[in-house]
Amino acid sequence: MVGTSKNAGKSVVIRALAEALWRAGEAFGLCTIGRDGEAADALDGTPKPRFFLRPGTLLATPTSLVPRSPALEIVAVTPERSALGPIVLARVRAPGFVEIAGPPSSVALRRIAAALGEDGRFTLIDGAVDRIAALRDGDDAIVVATGAASAPTLGHAVDDVGALVARLRLPAYDAARPCVRVAGALTAAAAASFVRADERRQIVVRDATHVAFGGRAFTDVAARLDLRCERALRPVACTVAPLGIDRAFEPRAFARAVAERTGLPTFDVYAGTVAGPAAA
Amino acid sequence: MTLPWDAATGDAIGATWLLAAIAPGGAFGRQARERERTFRRGDEARARERIALVDRAARELDDARLGALRAAIAAAPDPRAALLRASAGGVLGDVDFFELSRFLDSLGEVAALLAEGALPDLDVPAGGAALRATLAAGRTPARTFYLDDGFDPALAAVRSAFAAAQAAYDAARNRLVERVARQVGVDRVRDGEFVLMRDALSGPVPAGVRVLREAPTYFLCEIALDEAAVAALAARDAAAARVADAEEAVRAELSARVAEEAVELARACDVLGELDALCTRAQFARRYACTLPAIPLESRVSFTDARYLPLEETLGRHGRAYSPVSLELAGMGVVTGPNMGGKTAALRTLGFLAACVALGLPVPAAAAGVPLFDDIAWIGIGAEAADDGLLSAFGGEVVALRGFLERTGPRPLALVDEFARTTSPREGRALLIALLEALRERGALGLASTHLAGIAAAAGLPHFTSGGLRALEARDGPPLALEAALARIARAMDYRLTRVAEEAVPAADALALAEALGLAHDVIERARAELG
Repeated sequence: MVGTSKNAGKSVVIRALAEALWRAGEAFGLCTIGRDGEAADALDGTPKPRFFLRPGTLLATPTSLVPRSPALEIVAVTPERSALGPIVLARVRAPGFVEIAGPPSSVALRRIAAALGEDGRFTLIDGAVDRIAALRDGDDAIVVATGAASAPTLGHAVDDVGALVARLRLPAYDAARPCVRVAGALTAAAAASFVRADERRQIVVRDATHVAFGGRAFTDVAARLDLRCERALRPVACTVAPLGIDRAFEPRAFARAVAERTGLPTFDVYAGTVAGPAAA
Repeated sequence: MTLPWDAATGDAIGATWLLAAIAPGGAFGRQARERERTFRRGDEARARERIALVDRAARELDDARLGALRAAIAAAPDPRAALLRASAGGVLGDVDFFELSRFLDSLGEVAALLAEGALPDLDVPAGGAALRATLAAGRTPARTFYLDDGFDPALAAVRSAFAAAQAAYDAARNRLVERVARQVGVDRVRDGEFVLMRDALSGPVPAGVRVLREAPTYFLCEIALDEAAVAALAARDAAAARVADAEEAVRAELSARVAEEAVELARACDVLGELDALCTRAQFARRYACTLPAIPLESRVSFTDARYLPLEETLGRHGRAYSPVSLELAGMGVVTGPNMGGKTAALRTLGFLAACVALGLPVPAAAAGVPLFDDIAWIGIGAEAADDGLLSAFGGEVVALRGFLERTGPRPLALVDEFARTTSPREGRALLIALLEALRERGALGLASTHLAGIAAAAGLPHFTSGGLRALEARDGPPLALEAALARIARAMDYRLTRVAEEAVPAADALALAEALGLAHDVIERARAELG
């Protein structure tokens, strides 16, 4: 799960997915790049959905956030550390609220996700766009969350999510055709110089997170350059949170617009609706 | 660990390599190393005892068992913070019990590996067995830990009551959710915040729905609990509180058991660290076929077929054999010989063996007697003082030497490698002789390598010669690649260290070596002509 901004509704979607997996009888793993499941956001104090987890869920969280009750089954203490202590893998044995937090680096998150996903277990990662490196090459699905908190108008929100999905969908480069490999990140300035030079070769970055600009700038540049990546990603769906702290978007129109722009099935877990390809 | 050598000396005599080769594998071993001190003069009895123990471990434990011991120790988490908290009356958490269980597993594994007849007198605490048995109630076959009902029958009762209360609350809530879904004409509403579209409602928002926020086209809602659901929720929360109390009581009980064994387990941590260090050294001794050295009290060193392991490893990687060195020496001695003949290797070998003994290790030699030193110093090439380029090579050597002479006590090990070679030969010779006399007055033991003639005689020291170029294999054609040229020289070189007359003139094979290394023929011939 990645979001176009803070309060895009990622955690609400994670909670909905967790509930759906539990209803389907499928044990799953859960981890996060940040800190989630706490009653209020640690940064801005806004209320956040806590994770009410059912037995069988395997989660990763720092030692200091392991609840005293109901007791969890401690599966492993990993070598990964967060600011809140070493990350522990634990299994829920009795239903209860849990707060989770993750390591600061993509590499560590990737190792944790791999440990959670052993035995083919479905694993949910409450992630961030700049931590996509935690995903395995092409294997894992990305769900993009956007919400009314992300942009001043519905149109802006749709533009942002459209640009982000387009960025995440950067196609793999064609080894048979000439290319320019970009070491590190493709900055806006570097992209502008390619545009000025009317560069026709493929511009290849490591993956979508190595494009250091988004929004309309990305859309404009992508229309003029043949942007490619070494490691293609797989965005599979979008979600919308129509109600932000300061504004509300019309839910059906929002979901429809996001689906049309991205071509992805777009879920509104608040309204229990879906727009786009999956709706049919 | 405080070392009797500085960084430059450590590099020059291979002690830095040695410390890396015996680096402990786990946290306990690393902490043990921090507590360790090297053996110095006066520690001879303890050093003999320690090296004998390493030697015995190397002989009695095979590679597989040493590896298993080190792996078991490395896998053991450090329980000392938890032990401290338990001793202070704190109640430990489940992660603490998990880690303590893993620690006790490792301790048990170590005890089992040592129980099979090996090192019976090694003092590994047997403690922890009772605590391990206690914590076993929480271990699953996959070695995870859970505060299981088996710890206390009361846990099962309160958890069962909680499960029933949770089910009752879920049922009450589901009834409300389903009723609202029927009222608004959808299959299911979300159990949490959900949206109701205004245009989908034929009337007001149904009873049992709380509106959290209103938007122009919809309401953000949540299920409002009715009296029965509130009562079920209260019962659930009360049941959860009873579970929490019961779980905490079990943790308190377990923590008290931990506190009872805390002292013994903390001691076990130290012993594991020492055992890690011992196993590492034993592995080293086995790998390099080391032997037990004598540690004389007097300033005398002797070794037979000793190997300077860092060089032996390097040569091995290049497919070349190392020529061991033998030496008997009391006080200082002078080594002369051709370039590439092993003078410096002889100095390094002496320093390496001294470092082994200082670190409590058997030595890589067929036989050896190596004393302990308070100070081991490398003087000359490679020991120039750091100066940011302000000093010449000679200046750097002199400043480093000054520091050594100012700090060193009686009987240091001094390894002097071509000191003052970069100044005028006449004054360099005078300085070297003066230095050797000063070292002798301080009771130093060691070797000084030089190309200068007459040093041993002038300083009144024994004279050894290292290396001598026998006839190089005949060959024609273009110069050999470096690797092949070095191998050809090595086949022709006699690296043995031999005592010769004090006044013997050092062998010089510089031109032959330069030619073998491919220097242009005309340059070699001009040099020969110059020598007449």
